Formats: sequence, structure tokens, C-alpha cells
Amino acid sequence: MEDLATELMSQLETKISFVIPIFEGIPVPASVVVTWGIMAFLMILTLVFVRNLKMVPTGPQIYVEALVGFINNFFEDILGEEGKRYIPYLGTVIIYIACANLIGIIGITPPTKDLNVTAGLAIMSIILIEYSGIHAKGGKGYLKSFAEPMALLAPINILEIIIRPLSLCMRLFGNVLGAFVVMELIKIVAPAIVPIPLSFYFDVFDGLIQAYVFVFLTSLFIKEKME
Amino acid sequence: MSAIIAIGAGIAVMTGIGAGIGIGIATSKAAESIARQPEAKGDINKALLLGCALAEATAIYGFVIAVLIILFLK
Repeated sequence: MEDLATELMSQLETKISFVIPIFEGIPVPASVVVTWGIMAFLMILTLVFVRNLKMVPTGPQIYVEALVGFINNFFEDILGEEGKRYIPYLGTVIIYIACANLIGIIGITPPTKDLNVTAGLAIMSIILIEYSGIHAKGGKGYLKSFAEPMALLAPINILEIIIRPLSLCMRLFGNVLGAFVVMELIKIVAPAIVPIPLSFYFDVFDGLIQAYVFVFLTSLFIKEKME
Repeated sequence: MSAIIAIGAGIAVMTGIGAGIGIGIATSKAAESIARQPEAKGDINKALLLGCALAEATAIYGFVIAVLIILFLK
């Protein structure tokens, strides 16, 4: 029990992978390096798959078009016509979070297990949500929307600006950390074979569902702010 | 002292009871409504996922609090 607590504690800490030797030395966390890796991987994939695009798709282009079409349809259903401009950002985020959650399968620590990464994603989301409100209604209409449905509820509406990113951030982080802790406990009880099917649930299924839920909630909040 | 901390963490994880009941009710209603209206499956699935995500969040908060209690209070 004591060993597990110390190991969990060390897993929770932000690991520094290397230090950039300029000024006083800038520490670069491991999650940032893994994120760079995911970015490079996705960039290479996009460069490979968008070469030689044809009007009538053949080969891998069919799958790429199906994926892009699925993402576009999914967000368009929620956001409607005037929310189309936010689809590229939301699509990028869902692909990034899905890759980040799935990277644990090949033995790399998922960046989403770092609270700073999920907090960053949540802050970007809330900035986008509030921006979409300002863009759709103008500054005056945006401020007025805090007093809806009645002026008495304004404090609760303002509190939501803090609660929404906090719950987005904690949901993603807690799920990834929870899956990790449960998997560690299972590995202590039964080190062979048993973790494999459970890993599919906790790593693959849960990771994909959380990526989906994160962007789904973000787009729902954007839709609510735009109305 | 550590026994009290363990009890505290256990109480924090009890938030999972509410999440379990909530997700159970949501899923049973979703199954019922899909059986009644199979053509509305997509919309029902979406609403179910949203409800499950929101219900599950309470369990996750409880879990995070329990981990924090174990790690930082000892």
C-alpha cells in the first residue's frame, strides 16, 4: 500500500524531460515532448494522405474523407450553419485528445495524465466559448446574456465561466488518472493475461469516449452561447 | 491517523453511488426509448452520452478528492 502511494505520487508529478539551456534554463515537461511527437505524427499523416487527391476517391483517400465527413457532420448537427467556423478547431482537439489517450497502449505516458495539459485544453475551450458568444451577439448582447433568463441569476451565469473549464479539465484528467490507477491495481493482483482485455476498456474505449465527450460538451456550450 | 485518512478517502469515493444510479436510470430509459422508436437511435445515443458524461463527472470528482486525500494528508 505504501509503495503504491509513493508510486502514484511520483506519477502525479510533472516530469521534466530536458532543460533548454538559454537564460536560466527553461524546463520542458515530458508531456510537452510527447505532444510534439503526436503533432509530428499527425503532420506527417496529413502530408502523406492529402497528396494526389482525386475527384473520385480511391484507396486511403476514401477513409480520410469518411473521417473528415464524420467529424464535419457531427459538429454541424450541434452547431448549425453559423457555427461552422469553429469546426476545424474542435476537429483538431478531438483528434489530438484521441491520440493522446491512445498513446498509452504503446507504453508512452499519455500527456492527458498531466493536469497542466487538460487545464490548458479547458482554458482554450472556455476562451472559444466566450468568444463565440461575443462574435454572435456583439459585446452588448453578450453582456446582456448574463442577465438571462432573469437578472437574479447573473451570479450563477458568471460562476459558470469558472465551473465549466474546471469540470472539463477535471473530467478528462480524472478519467485518465482513474483508468491508470485501476490498471496499476489490476497489474498487482494479476500480472499476466488478465490486464489485456481490461486495458482495451480502460485505455481504448474510455480514452475515445472522453475525447468525444470533451469536444461534445465544448460544442454544446458554444451553441448555447451563440443562441 | 492513516486509518482515519483511509475512511475519509472511502467516504469521498461514495460519490460513485449517485453516478452509478444515475447512469443506470439513463441507460434503462435510453434502451426503452430506442425499443419504442428505433429510428431516433442517433439522437437518443447523443443525449445518453451527454447525460452519462455529466453523471459520471460526480464520480470522477469523488475519485480525484480521494486520491488527493490519500496523497497529500499522510
